[in-house]
Amino acid sequence: MSARNSTPPKTALVVVSDLEALTGFQSALTSRGYVAIIARDLPTALLAITQHYFDVAIVCSRLGEGGDGWPLAGVLHLVFPRAFIAVLSPGDPDVVTFQAAINNGVSEIYDQSRRPADIVGAIAAQSSGGTTSSGETVQ
Amino acid sequence: MAHKPSLLIVDDEVSVARTLQMVFEQEGYKVASAHSCAEALHLLNNGGRYDAVITDLNMEQPDIGLDVARAAGGLKPKPVVVVCTGYASSDNSRKALELRVDYLATKPVDLKELVPALNRMIAHRQDLKVWK
Repeated sequence: MSARNSTPPKTALVVVSDLEALTGFQSALTSRGYVAIIARDLPTALLAITQHYFDVAIVCSRLGEGGDGWPLAGVLHLVFPRAFIAVLSPGDPDVVTFQAAINNGVSEIYDQSRRPADIVGAIAAQSSGGTTSSGETVQ
Repeated sequence: MAHKPSLLIVDDEVSVARTLQMVFEQEGYKVASAHSCAEALHLLNNGGRYDAVITDLNMEQPDIGLDVARAAGGLKPKPVVVVCTGYASSDNSRKALELRVDYLATKPVDLKELVPALNRMIAHRQDLKVWK
């Protein structure tokens, strides 16, 4: 029996209120071998946190009526301290945005106008030194 | 007896360092202080181990506190790293994010936010050690 390909797939949580962007991220993540769990609002995301282990999270800073993405990122960092947490934010981040990112344990900020496939590609490259859902190091 | 968390405070303004030292000693911390980046790096590179490091950003040079954050971030176990600055910019705060600084506080420091935030981060770090 071969030991190759024994690493379990990484699991990603996407929390974006815009349906088109959400499906774009889901598709981009799946094509890169991630298991993608999606949520359009805060309550659904919080429920997902209780049910899955996440290696990666992509959270929009503005979830519309669905809530604020920054505190959700903070919760994700507390629950999954080794996860790569990306926040989508409009335009170039300013000092206040960077401060919110640092203080909520965010790994990286991406301009939400970028294509989901580009953002997922950047995340895959940056988070490749993380751990899998089994806690196995994949450096 | 509960473990007394250790803290290194780095600030070239002696009055600021002394005030923070008094505040955190009242909170039950064992506090050491350094008044320059060079002094802090000497402590960190010569066996100084702390549960947390709070560093100013502009000391001998602008943004040199990032060198303290980098050195602290390279320690094992990694202490909680807090940067306090009155001169935050997009450039230095991006670098702080890239260095995985745990908390960025702007001066004048709001102690009602910083103290509980540091207590919480250290407690969380301790929990992770227990669960490892």
